[in-house]
Amino acid sequence: MLIEIENLSVTFTAQGKPLRAVQEVSFAVAAKSAFGLVGESGSGKSTILRAICGLAPISGGSIRIAGETIRHDRAFSRQVQMVFQDPYASLHPRHSIDRTLSEPLAIHGLPLSESRIQQALTDVGLPANFRFRYPHQLSGGQRQRVAIARALMLEPKILLLDEPTSALDASVQAETLNLLSRLRAERGLTFLMVSHDLAVIDHMCDRILVMQHGRSVESLSRQALASGQMTTAYARSLFAASADRMLPP
Amino acid sequence: MSLLSVKNLRVSFDTETGRVDAVRGVSFSLGRERLGIVGESGSGKTMTGRALLRLIRPPGQIAADEMRFDGIDLLQASEKTMRSLRGPRISMVMQDPKYSLNPVMRVGAQLTEGLRLRDRLSKPAAYAKALEALIAVQIRDPERVMQAYPHELSGGMGQRVMIAMMLIPNPDLLIADEPTSALDVTVQAEVLKILDDLVRARGMGLIFISHDLRLVARFCDRVLVMYKGKIVEELAAKDLLQAKHPYTQGLLNCLPRIGGPRSMLPSLERDASWAG
Repeated sequence: MLIEIENLSVTFTAQGKPLRAVQEVSFAVAAKSAFGLVGESGSGKSTILRAICGLAPISGGSIRIAGETIRHDRAFSRQVQMVFQDPYASLHPRHSIDRTLSEPLAIHGLPLSESRIQQALTDVGLPANFRFRYPHQLSGGQRQRVAIARALMLEPKILLLDEPTSALDASVQAETLNLLSRLRAERGLTFLMVSHDLAVIDHMCDRILVMQHGRSVESLSRQALASGQMTTAYARSLFAASADRMLPP
Repeated sequence: MSLLSVKNLRVSFDTETGRVDAVRGVSFSLGRERLGIVGESGSGKTMTGRALLRLIRPPGQIAADEMRFDGIDLLQASEKTMRSLRGPRISMVMQDPKYSLNPVMRVGAQLTEGLRLRDRLSKPAAYAKALEALIAVQIRDPERVMQAYPHELSGGMGQRVMIAMMLIPNPDLLIADEPTSALDVTVQAEVLKILDDLVRARGMGLIFISHDLRLVARFCDRVLVMYKGKIVEELAAKDLLQAKHPYTQGLLNCLPRIGGPRSMLPSLERDASWAG
């Protein structure tokens, strides 16, 4: 298993009181597979991704990648990168696309070259001359492609995807999901993906963990999800609320 | 009589690179019902909603043959009349809580501001009313949320705070611009149930702007499909999944389905003639 999460807990302090965002969640993700986290907002699914990246405090349990407990150093960021939900907030508004994509290389002391940036843009289906643009000159879907290109600059093995298409239109969502599927196949990436859209999770992921109130509720295979074979009431209610996302009979 | 009638609404912007027509001749009328407006970003659906409240700043311009709400001519109304309409008569839930809530004011202060200033309620009465509104949108810990700043709330909570805020003055017409796009399915169902109860119980009209066709099909009575500033199709919500227009069909086809194939999703092929 490439990613192993054991009894992970994350506790924030809100107004002097502890807020237990994630409580003793365990799961494992096989290399080159796609794993989905679903649940309502506040269920702690995004917090798990943030804890893996070091953006949320781990108060208990462990996260191991390729058998080793994670340390948030440079070597880590060459292995794991994250794509955030809102492409309007996750790109620096005053950095050109060129600068946004060069920065990871500069930080890691890797050779910078024009062709590398052009290649990165071409890989995500954007014209190479987009590197002279600023985020406000791009549409939401184009920005999300830039965010994906940035995440791939260091050639990581693992992509953490936090609702990567929920801010996008149906047609742009389809293009972005197709792009992610293609990149995963081409580069042998492992995805850990958060979404509240069961249809998106079902389309992309092999295994699914359902979460509620910071705890894991049920782990499902894709087949079990598609055929509605869940054992807990909460997972069932989530499934029922997505009835309009089913394949028409 | 219909609550709102709009004939040939146009919204345009004069920019450095020429004139941009965001809305090009939209006509519809609305009773005490749930009307959905669907389309992609840039189709003019948000601009249509904002134009009804005359919330489009220069260089944006609104023109229409008619725009009438409950007997009031919205095109001729003075700015003072418009201010008295916005909120108590017509309110709008904006899309993104991150940009629509004041980041440096506690939620409680934002919720009670209108009640204190407009309705001249006492502090405890306003607090009680705001708390009630938060409970109505099913916020689990309303006392904490009242004390919180917007950045301390999740997207779904922020969205519910905004809905609570718009419902406090009990409007006749609610324009909801993507009110549930930041919410997950179960909370989405709850919020829609709240909106639905309000439409029925208070006889409120609702304009529901969304890019989620399936949601609109389930929730609204009637749907307008917009493409590049025009209405390309109008149909009863229950017929949306059997839509005739190739644009509507294309939007439906590119959605993933539970149990669907893993192959690439079909992309939307656009036809220049749709924009007409």
